[in-house]
Amino acid sequence: MANVSVAAEWQLLGDRYYRKPELYHPMQWRHIDLSRNKVACAPFGGPVALIRDDSKIVQLYSESALRKLRLFNSAGVSLSDVVWKNPGGRLIGLSWSDDHTLVCIVQDGTVYRYNVHAELIEPNLSILGHDYFDENVVECVFWGNGVVCITETCKVFAVPDFKTRTVVRLADPPPPPIELELELELPHCVAVIEPQFTLSGNVEVLLAIGDGVVMVEEDEVQALPVPPGDGPLQKMVVSGNGRFVAAFTHDGRLAVYSTRFEKMFEYQCESALPPEQLAWCGLDSVLLYWDDMLLMVGPSDEPVRYLYDEPIVLVPECDGVRILTNTSMEFLQLVPNSTVSIFKIGSTSPAALLYDALDHFDRRSAKADENLRLIRSSLPEAVEACVDAAGHEFDVSRQRTLLRAASYGQAFCSNFQRDRIQEMCKTLRVLNAVRNPAIGIPLSIQQYKLLTPAVLIGRLINAHQHLLALRISEYLGMNQEVVIMHWACSKITASLAIPDAALLEILLDKLRLCKGISYAAVSAHADKNGRRKLAAMLIEHEPRSSKQVPLLLSIGEEDTALMKATESGDTDLVYLVLFHIWQKKQPLEFFGMIQARMLARDLFITYARCYKHEFLKDFFLSNGQLQEVAFLLWKESWAIGKNPMASKGSPLHGPRIKLIEKAHSLFSETKEHTFESKAAEEHAKLIRMQHELEVTTKQAIFVDSSISDTIRTCIVLGNHRAAMKVKTEFKVSEKRWYWLKVFALATIRDWDALEKFSKEKRPPIGYRPFVEACIEADEKGEALKYIPKLADPRERAESYARIGMAKEAADAASQAKDGELLGRLKLTFAQNAAASSIFDTLRDRLSFQGVS
Amino acid sequence: MAQIPNLDNAPLNLTSLREQSQKELLNILKNIRGKKCLVIDPKLGSSLSSIIQTSLLKEHGVELRHLSADPLQTDCIKVVFLVRSQLDLMKFICSNVHDDVSKGLQREYFVYFVPRRTVVCEKILEEENVYNLMTIGEYPLYIVPLDEDVLSFELDLAYKESQVDGDTSSLWHIAKAIHKLEFSFGVIPNVRAKGKGSVRVADILNRMQAEEPVNSPDMVVPEINTLILLDREVDMVTPMLSQLTYEGLLDECLHVNNGSVELDASIMGLQQEGKKIKVPLNSSDKLFKEIRDLNFEVVVQTQSVSELKDFVKKLNSLPEMTRHINLAQHLSTFTSKPAFLGQLDMEHTIVEAQSYDICFEYIEELIHKQEPLVNVLRLLILFSITSSGLPKKQFDYLRRELLHSYGFEHMATLNNLEKAGLLRKQESKSNWLTIKRALQLVVEDTDTANPNDIAYVFSGYAPLSIRLVQHAVRSGWRPIEEILKLLPGPHSETRRGRFSSSPSYDTLQASANIDKVADGRRSLVLVVFIGGITFAEISALRFLSAQEGMAYDLIVGTTKIVSGHSLAETFVERLG
Repeated sequence: MANVSVAAEWQLLGDRYYRKPELYHPMQWRHIDLSRNKVACAPFGGPVALIRDDSKIVQLYSESALRKLRLFNSAGVSLSDVVWKNPGGRLIGLSWSDDHTLVCIVQDGTVYRYNVHAELIEPNLSILGHDYFDENVVECVFWGNGVVCITETCKVFAVPDFKTRTVVRLADPPPPPIELELELELPHCVAVIEPQFTLSGNVEVLLAIGDGVVMVEEDEVQALPVPPGDGPLQKMVVSGNGRFVAAFTHDGRLAVYSTRFEKMFEYQCESALPPEQLAWCGLDSVLLYWDDMLLMVGPSDEPVRYLYDEPIVLVPECDGVRILTNTSMEFLQLVPNSTVSIFKIGSTSPAALLYDALDHFDRRSAKADENLRLIRSSLPEAVEACVDAAGHEFDVSRQRTLLRAASYGQAFCSNFQRDRIQEMCKTLRVLNAVRNPAIGIPLSIQQYKLLTPAVLIGRLINAHQHLLALRISEYLGMNQEVVIMHWACSKITASLAIPDAALLEILLDKLRLCKGISYAAVSAHADKNGRRKLAAMLIEHEPRSSKQVPLLLSIGEEDTALMKATESGDTDLVYLVLFHIWQKKQPLEFFGMIQARMLARDLFITYARCYKHEFLKDFFLSNGQLQEVAFLLWKESWAIGKNPMASKGSPLHGPRIKLIEKAHSLFSETKEHTFESKAAEEHAKLIRMQHELEVTTKQAIFVDSSISDTIRTCIVLGNHRAAMKVKTEFKVSEKRWYWLKVFALATIRDWDALEKFSKEKRPPIGYRPFVEACIEADEKGEALKYIPKLADPRERAESYARIGMAKEAADAASQAKDGELLGRLKLTFAQNAAASSIFDTLRDRLSFQGVS
Repeated sequence: MAQIPNLDNAPLNLTSLREQSQKELLNILKNIRGKKCLVIDPKLGSSLSSIIQTSLLKEHGVELRHLSADPLQTDCIKVVFLVRSQLDLMKFICSNVHDDVSKGLQREYFVYFVPRRTVVCEKILEEENVYNLMTIGEYPLYIVPLDEDVLSFELDLAYKESQVDGDTSSLWHIAKAIHKLEFSFGVIPNVRAKGKGSVRVADILNRMQAEEPVNSPDMVVPEINTLILLDREVDMVTPMLSQLTYEGLLDECLHVNNGSVELDASIMGLQQEGKKIKVPLNSSDKLFKEIRDLNFEVVVQTQSVSELKDFVKKLNSLPEMTRHINLAQHLSTFTSKPAFLGQLDMEHTIVEAQSYDICFEYIEELIHKQEPLVNVLRLLILFSITSSGLPKKQFDYLRRELLHSYGFEHMATLNNLEKAGLLRKQESKSNWLTIKRALQLVVEDTDTANPNDIAYVFSGYAPLSIRLVQHAVRSGWRPIEEILKLLPGPHSETRRGRFSSSPSYDTLQASANIDKVADGRRSLVLVVFIGGITFAEISALRFLSAQEGMAYDLIVGTTKIVSGHSLAETFVERLG
């Protein structure tokens, strides 16, 4: 039966099955001998880098003596290559970082980085720097995005993250005891615990020195006690979860420790010679590779042996190990539980029966139904197992059979999550697509989930597989912006020969696919590639002004930038453009640019009013707005007034007056500003006069008060001549003069003078000011002198009311024949019953007469 | 700080809006570890008092200071400036930092801009050589809910800045604030705008929607059905009139600031001589909620009437009762003054626009008597607008009298008013009478106790702005287009989002049934005043919203709550 053949390929390690499906065979490359090369394989089915190993003596066949760095995908399809000409001595190590940058470290500590297109990413990073230029790197250990390097004098350096590119020198391991007089000893082997697994969050380096192990951190060294008899350790490797260390002891034992070197397990190998490669396979077993032989040791006694007649490279993954040989790529993994339950020889699990039932169904055998009936109650688990097992398969036809079995079973069970199968189909379609040798990313489902679709898409576009990336992101309902954006940028870089207009069309055609895509970013890229015109054309399509405007500035399109900023209504953007132009252009040119643009001009003026007075004057002068300059000068005159230092202690207020006079003459240049001009003239005159008054009265209370205030002050001080002088000088009207003088006299309660004043002549505004002034000063007697002289009976009535004379008020009101007034006055006297009745009677009489 | 209003009964979920703002502020403070001195610009401080309690800030190791030109007094090493992005505030920050530097004090400075950092402010910090000493951040506070139905953008200078300086930053801010609301409550399908600024805001709002779309699922009905944008410029008559509603009068006489008034404790019947207390005024006070929108006459009358006492008993809120009796009595001392009555009389005479000479002489006399400048300006603005400017001779005469009476520094004030078109030379015939008649602004025989028209808020004058809103809600702009043309600025009417394809002429009324939100709540109209709204106008809107046959709840957005006094004040330059 088909089932048997599946399980026949499995090996049993302890009580667990392992399998080793071939991912690619044969490899697409030709004539590759791994043993002649240094090899770096990226995890998660990433690319493979090969370069001839210059530490080995190899025979050159018909090839150039120059070494080539060659990059392949996992199926052996060449991605790119480049001749290795980098200085700095022997290549010590190379590895892929998380973002698929190939990191190569040479003897002098220089780090060269390449992308998957074998293009050097500059600048290079120097690990040793100037301070240790005479040292050499002898060993390096990589992890995710970092590396640890050991120099020949046993100094330890680390780059915790290639993205931040900072180099950290770690603490020095302790020197050997002096009494032994040994030369400085390099560690036998090195392993690294990644920062993500350490308490401190910094990398911890394990160095096997002498019989023990030393742990080195940024500022700490700690000796870890290795169980006696184990050291010196020949080879060490840390497990994928950072919690265990597998090590090969000096006497041929494989030992597994915790990271604090408590032994958990050991196995006596047949050879005391350390293995060439040591790797964890998941967390359950350790692989040891010697020439020809790969040994898999698990917790049980009996290991599994695989024989290889060609060199291999072990590539640890989160859920197994990929084995790369000259001709194939295999994946060694623990057989998943679901798969075991279906395919294990003699399995009678519901899943196995369901799988079998499908077989019967296909052959139109009635036994299908019998099988189903047997497992009716556990059908959902059976379906689930089939779906799960399908996910773990690399073989497409077996995926299909398993999914068919699942869907067959699902038809008979009502309570199974229906979208499970659909979802798995989706996932498998994606996985199969990227596993295709042309793409060559042999992800297992577990790796895919850990990696996430977004990162996978990132890797695809990085490898310029834009179409597939676009299709996948569309298929999975993800945002396509990333893909299209990257495509557009790559397209621009790669299309030097295509004219701007044509390229724009090509780009727009695709950019339109994605709403909200950043045209600004694409445009910026075009500009960086020296295609300024294309950049300008692209930026035209950016809807977000906040992105568009800065870019327009950077490509020198100031006018357009100003226009767009203004259109956006975002004053902050307008300011951005303003300052940019201001800095770049000559003042006159700058003025010219903003003159016709109202918003820009007004904002400039607002800013300059606060902080750039002189420059603002230049601006107004340049466009002939003399009155604005005049206003500025006038304003400055107050600033000087407030600041005695600015007037240089001059008691004559000379500088102030000078400024105001200048303003006056500027105003008079234009016909429209006669009023302002006159006002300025008067102002200057006023300050002079006030100053004189201050000198004569020896009181500094005049300057900066108004003309009316000055008159009042003079009268209050009893200086009527001065008041009169101000009055005539500024042609103060009689009306105003009366109000001012009456109130001023009332202020000093000079009632005689007031009365005298009232009799000088008939007051031009009647006696109301006199009445008001007296009432406000609470002088009823004085008020009564003037109330009868009021011409309007209404005014008389109200005045009487204000001083509480109800009877007189009522009489006056009835004289006015104003019912409404009577009503109001009654309210005023609401508390006074007698007064109230007077008003009522009067009102009745009025309404009777019909005059109301 | 004043009591924070309860927003639970708001027609929109404003509580979450406010909580978001609280959280953002606290996060800023949390991210700056340890003790710190928080230096707030005073105006922002009073806005924040409607957002967060001071005690909550202190819990986060904050020492509070107000930003001023004076050197900063604190022992804290970390200083956090929380300021609006206003140019003049930068001077203070710089002088504070320079002062520290000259004293050899080493501090860590953080500057958080509200609502966002701006190039121009950072430029000033750069030029003053303090930019490198600071960490810059932003606190995106665009909206402050002042009450259940009032949102403020807290842009107190918006009107002056855009009318006089041509600085339209506030328009962007308003659009951004509305767009932020849309992210919470869905794209507003109907937009009606009147006035230059309003039309521009509608335009910027559309741009924002194109640049950064609100993705509302197709089937969800947006919570706000209509946005009505109105420039203050369209109606400068209303704010210049004395408000006669209870809340409006409180503002006129005592200046309500962010939902509270400050007055002598003795007025409130407390035995603390000379001490000032803050009285919160918002709808969390149930009695206030009932009487705030009434005409003050009615408030005074009802206070002695048993009806209200029954009501109070029901509410079981005697402290509130005493509070408002005290307040109302205090207000009466203002309203019973002859000057106040004279002022009201004159306002109505000006609005009637029949007796030009009487008005002119009255204003002339005010100037001669050197009445407070702002009071004079209010009437003068009212006069100039209703008569479409003053004949040149009188214009020059009054200006000269003003300068002579109040000082030449007010040349700048006059210049500002002229730029804003509030006080100008007559160039054409006034169309105020036409507008007044067409919109029925003056309503005879207004029963203030049982009003049947918004005119009750001014005892006989219906605010022009709210008349426009009334029309806009009822039937859109179309039927009153001829009148709109007589008012300043363009108008526009658009349908947005997935509604943009449907014909724009269908009226709100017709679509009211479809627009009704499923859970029985009425759908909403957001009325935004660019340049400020008065309490009296808010009362009028509440009156409209409570009318029978009104299918909508109205909610107000404004750059700031203003009064004629505070508006006129922004134009006054104090140089001396």
